[in-house]
Amino acid sequence: MTRLPLASVSFVESTGVQIVKAVVIFAFVLVVVPMILLLERKLLGRFQARLGPNRVGPYGLLQPLADVLKLLSKERFTPSTAVPWMMAMAPAISIFTAVVTLAIIPFGDVRRHGLFGASYGLYGIDVSIGILWAFAFGALAFYGLMLGGWASGSKYSFLGAMRSAAQLISYEVSLGLSLVGVVITAGSLSLTQIVNSQDHIWYVVPQFVGFCIFMVAAFAETNRPPFDLPEADAEIVAGYNTEFGGMRFGSFFMAEYINMVAIAGIATAMFLGGWHGPGPGWLDPIWVLVKMFGFIVLFIWIRATLPRLRYDQLMAFGWKILLPLATVNALVTAILVAT
Amino acid sequence: MLLEQVLFFVAAAGAIGGALGVVLLRNPFFSVLALVAHLISLALLFLLLRAEFIAAAQLVVYAGAVMVLYVFVVAYVGGVEETVGGEGAIGRVGPVFAGALLVELCIAIIGSALPAIDSRGPHVAAGFGSPGAIGKLLLEKFLIPFEAASFLLLVAAVGAVVLARRRRGLEDSVG
Repeated sequence: MTRLPLASVSFVESTGVQIVKAVVIFAFVLVVVPMILLLERKLLGRFQARLGPNRVGPYGLLQPLADVLKLLSKERFTPSTAVPWMMAMAPAISIFTAVVTLAIIPFGDVRRHGLFGASYGLYGIDVSIGILWAFAFGALAFYGLMLGGWASGSKYSFLGAMRSAAQLISYEVSLGLSLVGVVITAGSLSLTQIVNSQDHIWYVVPQFVGFCIFMVAAFAETNRPPFDLPEADAEIVAGYNTEFGGMRFGSFFMAEYINMVAIAGIATAMFLGGWHGPGPGWLDPIWVLVKMFGFIVLFIWIRATLPRLRYDQLMAFGWKILLPLATVNALVTAILVAT
Repeated sequence: MLLEQVLFFVAAAGAIGGALGVVLLRNPFFSVLALVAHLISLALLFLLLRAEFIAAAQLVVYAGAVMVLYVFVVAYVGGVEETVGGEGAIGRVGPVFAGALLVELCIAIIGSALPAIDSRGPHVAAGFGSPGAIGKLLLEKFLIPFEAASFLLLVAAVGAVVLARRRRGLEDSVG
């Protein structure tokens, strides 16, 4: 463990490498979100026996570009009842917390004297508190939705924000407890060490219950269908982002997809063995991307398959089934590891 | 360590500004947000003190769970201008107690801070503040206070539910 001004990390790169890594993570986000967007629209189209977007560019490949250009050129509307500075701040909070979470996802172990002779770890940062980093910023992500909904000064936005508040606290506990089993088994909070300890068996096998709880809670945490009650369009227009237009709406939208990528990355590292896979060492990041891609397709598939839950069903499921199950799972794992 | 100093003063200013905002802002919603800003600044101070786990717990528990409930309640009943205190015995005794508490805290803080101002500060051993070390302390050395505190919190939560039900007459409705 090496001490930096703010945190202990297991491996410190030179400043240049750190800057490169920060740029790479940000570029990755900017590139991957439009790709997922297109993938989602194409797949949803296929699931519903449509073609999906196919007008802009070959096979509709340029559709995300058209979407972004449309959002950028739209009017930035602010209702008269709104709090303008807070409406500007809320999407920024959402984007910030989403991108920061991506920093801890490991794409490979530390490489000594790799490319250009530099030593680097294939992750943003390997903090000693590991997965708690994701929870800390996930907790702050709530303020993006909440402030956005409250600052809009509209009833639909407010209802959406309130729903997201209740939903996020209800499922955050289960999400955390579902990962406790993995942390106990691996004996570490650091994602790279958790991946390293999975070289014999992926934790999805011994921690299958935890994996199922994690996936359900992850759908709720990312506001993805069937848990997209904060923006249930049939009931409350579009929830917390009703009054947002242009790129401010685009930021909320983008944050949702980055969160999806981050959750897929965490699931890959915690349960699917991260970079472990057959083949030479340089394939490690590819394996992580392949596994994350699988999760993202699952997210999209579920969206096309399941209808939205009713609000009381959501709460009853979270508190009466998921939370006790997650608690029992953590307890049983602790007992098994201790004996 | 210039970076540490810059971060300390940013976090300290944020903590004090947030705390002042809680008291001075008229709109309860903004007060709660100021408290959130205060808590985030405290988390940054914890990071500077080598307590990463405490910092993360601060964000997850306080900013992420407790303050969410505050925001929840204030956003629902917000805008109601209620005068706090000024009624009966509590209104007269309250400021006295608050003043006494302030004096006591000042004595404690200044008393311990002034002698330490020229020193290098305590030596921080490796592994200090790590989740494992904190878990050991909580479950071995401080087991009884830890359990007592959790019991106290449980009593407080149950008590709040009981009081709320009695006052609003909720026992008649579906519960």
